[in-house]
Amino acid sequence: MEKHKPPIKIISPGSCYRNENDASHSPMFHQVEALVVDEGVTFADLRDMLNIFVKKMFGEDIESRFRPHFFPFTEPSAEMDIICVKCHGKGCNLCRGSGWLEMGGAGMVDPNVFDILGIDSEKYTGYAFGLGMDRIAMLKYKIPDMRLLFENDVRFLKQFK
Amino acid sequence: MKISYNWLKQYININLPPHELEEKMTFAGIEVEAVEKLGAELEQIKIAEIVTHKLHPDSDHLSICEVNDGSETVQVICGAPNCSAGQKIAFAPVGSEIGEFKIKKVKLRGVESYGMICSEKELGISDNHEGIMELPADAPLGSSLTSYLKSDDVSYDVEITPNRPDLLGMFGVARDLSAILDIPLNKPQISLQESDEPIEQMLALENIAPELCTRYTARMIKGVTVKESPEWMKKRLLAVGLRPINNVVDVTNFVMMEFGHPLHAFDYHLIDEQKIIVRRAHKNEQFPALDEETYTLQENDLVIADTNKPIALAGIIGGENSHITESTKDIVIEAANFLYSSIRKTAGRLKISTDSSYRFERDISDETAELASERAVQLILELAGGKLLKGKLDSYPNPVPKRIVAIRPSRIKHLLTITLNPQQIKDYLTALGLNFKTEKPDRLEFSIPSYRKDLVREVDLIEEVIRLHGYNNVETYLKTQNIMDREIFYARRQVADILVNNGFSEVKNWNFGDPQDLDKLNLSDQDDRRHNAVLKNPLGSSFSIMRSMLLPHLLHNTLFNLNHSQKDLKLFEMSKIFLRKDEKLASEKLYVTGVMTGQLHDTFWKEKARKIDFFDVKGIIEQILDSLLITKYKFENSEEPYFQPGMGADIVYRNRKIGMLGKIDPKILDKFDISEELYSFDLDLETIFMLSSFLDPVFKEIPKFPPVLRDLSFIISNQHSYTDIVKMIKTVNPGIIKKVELFDEYIGKNINAGYRSLTFSIVFSSDTKTLTDEIISQNLQKIIEKLKQELNIEMR
Repeated sequence: MEKHKPPIKIISPGSCYRNENDASHSPMFHQVEALVVDEGVTFADLRDMLNIFVKKMFGEDIESRFRPHFFPFTEPSAEMDIICVKCHGKGCNLCRGSGWLEMGGAGMVDPNVFDILGIDSEKYTGYAFGLGMDRIAMLKYKIPDMRLLFENDVRFLKQFK
Repeated sequence: MKISYNWLKQYININLPPHELEEKMTFAGIEVEAVEKLGAELEQIKIAEIVTHKLHPDSDHLSICEVNDGSETVQVICGAPNCSAGQKIAFAPVGSEIGEFKIKKVKLRGVESYGMICSEKELGISDNHEGIMELPADAPLGSSLTSYLKSDDVSYDVEITPNRPDLLGMFGVARDLSAILDIPLNKPQISLQESDEPIEQMLALENIAPELCTRYTARMIKGVTVKESPEWMKKRLLAVGLRPINNVVDVTNFVMMEFGHPLHAFDYHLIDEQKIIVRRAHKNEQFPALDEETYTLQENDLVIADTNKPIALAGIIGGENSHITESTKDIVIEAANFLYSSIRKTAGRLKISTDSSYRFERDISDETAELASERAVQLILELAGGKLLKGKLDSYPNPVPKRIVAIRPSRIKHLLTITLNPQQIKDYLTALGLNFKTEKPDRLEFSIPSYRKDLVREVDLIEEVIRLHGYNNVETYLKTQNIMDREIFYARRQVADILVNNGFSEVKNWNFGDPQDLDKLNLSDQDDRRHNAVLKNPLGSSFSIMRSMLLPHLLHNTLFNLNHSQKDLKLFEMSKIFLRKDEKLASEKLYVTGVMTGQLHDTFWKEKARKIDFFDVKGIIEQILDSLLITKYKFENSEEPYFQPGMGADIVYRNRKIGMLGKIDPKILDKFDISEELYSFDLDLETIFMLSSFLDPVFKEIPKFPPVLRDLSFIISNQHSYTDIVKMIKTVNPGIIKKVELFDEYIGKNINAGYRSLTFSIVFSSDTKTLTDEIISQNLQKIIEKLKQELNIEMR
């Protein structure tokens, strides 16, 4: 946004790094982040976009929901959950009984961010969200352990064409 | 942070069961990480009565009791000095669990005991282990101890986001929930009885670091009795994970958990010269803290001190030298606020983290300090007695005026798409404690309470509005329109890529066809491909129909290239073919057709060049279908009129012909002026895409046990196909025979005509155990037996 004026629609996949390493966390993993800035972009656009994404990725019967949350760069901020793909909301060990799985964070871009970048925050609004790709792959293909994604065992790799 | 359901009920009348409240909290933005049912461990302990009591004959401290637990009377041995007949007691029956161990029937000095009468320590209620726990005479016989003690509470472990320090206490959470649930909030009533003695006569205060300490208040109570807190107080603290210490300290912790504002209590007589000084520490100043560590402070650390020594590390931890003990009579209650960044730096450097520092680090409110002080003082008077001195010392150098923030209903619609009238907006925001000030056209102004430092701009108020309105109550209006089927789009590309990666060139021919080509291919008149869409005004007779096959053009392409000295050709075309039976419009279907002639690979000096053969074409088909996740297809003898007899195969999937492949009859190729050997294949992509389900792969566990490989060689009649042999071998033990691959074929000397020798490589693998030689040999035997029996093989 420093270099380009709105309208902006970006999808940006990339590697992320965190100091965690277990069956559901890897020190290097992948996220897809999106940023949409234009006149008239609303919270409903964000809600819809993620809702449609979830259904396309996991199936028409998978519902999603937003929860209030906090990120310094979005206001309002939210986290999105999807209905647990394993038990469909009944509660199981994958969703730890809650029936929902956390998908990622989202929100409307905080006007402060626009102000700092010299974009008119009255005129332009935007949304952003981030999703974990490894996590989505694990849910979609029922892969139980994140380390399998980096172990590179050909008996695992060959299962995916 | 822990939240207690019962404690919350003091401020809001929650009608919801605990798990529903969890959901409401989540939708308020309070993330619930764990829920614990308290008192569960005491569910099995029953209220019972000692019916009879007599001393154990073989012991001087044991007694034998008859205990009635409401459903039966059993004999119980008791080792306590205070048990007697008629007492109501806490009884753990056989089979119940208490702490770590299970109650079983035991024999003590030759006498049997069926259960245990419990002490408070055994029940985890207190440290009292002098004797058994005695309950009042009216305790209901047979009830569980949990419901009697009302210790059934639910504790939520929650994550509060950094922008909401006002939620770091029960009351703050209740206040937010009252707005979310639209129920009234019960504020604790505070009324103080001050004595006539002014505090200024007893204590002095000097704040010489006003930039680090934004407010400091002190109150004093004389003549308190420091002792154990009453049950209700202990229960409240235990429910949120705090340890009761004594009534005065417990009150400070209670109020911290209630209002999210930490307090501290000092023993007045340990404050030298009765003066509190809020100052920066001296370089390398030593501070003995309550955690029994001595910290070395620096000039950026803020301390509460007297004239001689630091008595507390401001906002973080109190000093060993000034804390409340059982002999304390006069106390000073500190309620203050500190610059959050200073607390964070000091706590970070010294690696201390307390419930107090946790809250100050998040930038809490100067005004709440005053409220917390009054509340604490009221509770201490109630629990510890004493006299409250008049007034308070208050250093408040820079009171921050209340912020006014405006919100435009039109902007709510602009950003959130929801339409709210001014009254609705007022209702939402005032429920959170904001004060409505003025209304102008498309502009509502609110005064922000001091505990909501996160509400600074219009967009912050908009977030509150959507939070209360419901994030999921925003109407969706985007509808997707499928302009094209993505999966098929990518699948088409995938097929083309596979061919290109195998050395094919993609060709593009006109869609106009020549009916004479269909004659050359020997198509019968009844063949579907004769039902053509005929052009009314063709370029010529060779272009008079819309083509119903791609092969003829590929053959023309082949001839063209051969005539230009290109002998090694792999060509494919992916296009629609056209058929018209009786309908007005021709139907179009996507096909891919390929031809292969000449050498398989480019000349390479290290390898002997070889001509393309049937198995090369078959391999291409297998690659393509494999990539589309189609595996259960078969090859059957083809009836196509243009293949060399016995050299053509139809590909059948789910009972439909989806393509064919084979060597074209040289007599037919001759009609196209081609004298080289040529193979072709066809795939009906239209049908294939319709039949394939584009299913996602599902992860299959990787076998934990190593596989075992064995070879099997035998002579077999040509009439049995490779596929049949493989299938038959697998059926012997599908659980462990994972792979069967043809390794070698030998025809020639020592083998009769009509027979061949085949060598198969068999992979055995188990998901549950290592396969021993014995198991493998047994299975191999079975395979050989079966093949001998069914296919008449001869072992080599």
